[in-house]
Amino acid sequence: MYRYDEFDERFVRERVAQFRGQVERRLDGSLSEDEFKPLRLKNGLYLQLHAYMLRIAVPYGTLNSAQLRQLAHIAETYDKGYGHFTTRQNLQFNWPKLKDVPDILGLLADVEMHCIQTSGNCIRNVTSDQFAGVARDEVEDPRPTAELIRQWSSLHPEFVWLPRKFKIAVTGAEHDRAAIKVHDIGLKLKRNEQGAVGYEVIVGGGLGRTPMIGKLVREFLPKDELLAYLEAVMRVYNSEGRRDNKFKARVKILVHETGEEEFRARVEEEYAKLDGPTINAPDEEVERIAAYFAPPAYDTLPEASQVLDQARAIDPELDRFVEQNAFEHKQPGYIALTISLKEIGAVPGDMSADQMRAFADVAERYSFDEFRVTHAQNLVLPHVKKDDLPAVHAALKAAGLASANAGLITDIIACPGLDYCALATAKSIPIAQAIAKTFADRERQKTIGELPIKISGCINACGHHHVGAIGILGLEKGGRENYQITVGGDATEHAALGERLGPGIDAEDVPAAIEAIVETYLAEKTGEESFIETVRRTGAEPFKAGFTAFVESRAVNSEAAE
Amino acid sequence: MAKDHRAGSKVRGDRLPAILMASHLLEGDTVFLSDGGWTLDPTAAKIAHDAETAAVMEAEGKAAAAANTVIEPYLVPVDLTDDGLPVARHFRDAMRQKGPSIHPDMGKQAEFAPLD
Repeated sequence: MYRYDEFDERFVRERVAQFRGQVERRLDGSLSEDEFKPLRLKNGLYLQLHAYMLRIAVPYGTLNSAQLRQLAHIAETYDKGYGHFTTRQNLQFNWPKLKDVPDILGLLADVEMHCIQTSGNCIRNVTSDQFAGVARDEVEDPRPTAELIRQWSSLHPEFVWLPRKFKIAVTGAEHDRAAIKVHDIGLKLKRNEQGAVGYEVIVGGGLGRTPMIGKLVREFLPKDELLAYLEAVMRVYNSEGRRDNKFKARVKILVHETGEEEFRARVEEEYAKLDGPTINAPDEEVERIAAYFAPPAYDTLPEASQVLDQARAIDPELDRFVEQNAFEHKQPGYIALTISLKEIGAVPGDMSADQMRAFADVAERYSFDEFRVTHAQNLVLPHVKKDDLPAVHAALKAAGLASANAGLITDIIACPGLDYCALATAKSIPIAQAIAKTFADRERQKTIGELPIKISGCINACGHHHVGAIGILGLEKGGRENYQITVGGDATEHAALGERLGPGIDAEDVPAAIEAIVETYLAEKTGEESFIETVRRTGAEPFKAGFTAFVESRAVNSEAAE
Repeated sequence: MAKDHRAGSKVRGDRLPAILMASHLLEGDTVFLSDGGWTLDPTAAKIAHDAETAAVMEAEGKAAAAANTVIEPYLVPVDLTDDGLPVARHFRDAMRQKGPSIHPDMGKQAEFAPLD
């Protein structure tokens, strides 16, 4: 894991002191709310429906046990005993007091954490593949790239007041788990025909009110040219992106309005003007950063583990857990393990302080003191010995963290929605809870297989509904909450936006509507097709028909009831 | 700067009776204007039955915002229960009066008598 050097340390400490001064000036009246708001947002502090909310950066989703223990301490001391992991791989506290926030930032700085780049019109916290450094289909670990971008973009004097927020994701793998095609910039580490490592650069993807799939702007960018090329993209956006209309200010709109070809030409033109060597990181700095992400000291082990095989044979619960939540590790004898924060009926992404401590112990003892946050609001233990899995499972089970549903229909992404969020138009979490309860039966979940459902409580799409195999968008219609349902969305290398099935429906009808959609899938699927594969083959039509029939049956029933 | 809020109540049509709701600067909690300053208790909110009272309350809210006591005060149209308690007409305002629906153990609903 990356560790702060003296510059990082000083920078973060200075920001804490700066914010402490800003809060003091706000409280003594020398700053008005209008003056203070952009300052607090630069430090991740929002005002939500019931309280302030503090969003803490988890750079590319990597944390260690000391950090998680500190988060548990903050949750108990300054909040209500829990935290919430988000679709940006960050962590939010929902109840901090303004007067306590400088102290909280100080505690975060003690464990090399901060809230910088979690809000405001800057380059946001860079996200990445939760299996970085672990996956077998990886060309190179994406985290050194993500860290390099973090250092380059933090307080970059040119890019701290962009037209709008800017999100970058990096993957090093063939299978995209970082949703790079729906980010402002998506980077994929790849090899060219000569075997050299570089980046595929995608620009102009995004969700929100105008969802777009990103466009390929550079097929292959040599690895050492990254920062200068990013600078060229950012310069084009910074000077030409719209500042007159917030809803048209993201780079996706610029790429769309300029046209793919023309945008590419402008970036290349800007790039030609830049003095690359003065911008690109020196080799020794790149190497210094990369060294922090060197693989841990694995034991040399056989691929198969007799200990695990025997334990699985006698413990069906362990067997199911491993089958569903384990991910192949490139090191023989190890696996990466997804820890679902989606127990049936739980709030997706929530974790209590007790669970944080228990999980920190597991990560410290069994996973080289490291874990990851996923954009699906789950956690990952990246390096678990197969021999240790029975013990890890027992420890997780004792902490209520052993739900064997990673990737299944009950592993739902949901934004905070109207339960917390000042922007929300409808509730999101209770919809996720109701669907999870409807499909709680394990065998039923297994029969349905992989099915990512994603729920947003407003058009801003924090719950990524556009790229859910089933997407749910909560809106307000006629003074009531109303939910639109889409199918066919995909956040992977097959990126696609979901297609709407019909009119919006009431909250209480959503679980049954999902059942109707699942029935259509089970009727249409051939062979081992997953839900999304079926939709890709059949198109949305059969699902629209099933949904329409459901909506009509509901209308008949409600008339009969009246 | 992007607005990070949907300001004001979303109720259409008749806007009375109403209460005045805001966020407390220091704590961030939702607060209500009462006869004696700001209260955390949704049952203690002062109710405007006529436009004149509503206007006076709104002015009081603006003054409190200028004095850095509260943030974003706005009038919230309510219905009155049989006991005369104000229940926000819009589900978003009602959420602020009660606390998160997913956590009955948190927010106003955990600390004060229910409105209905």
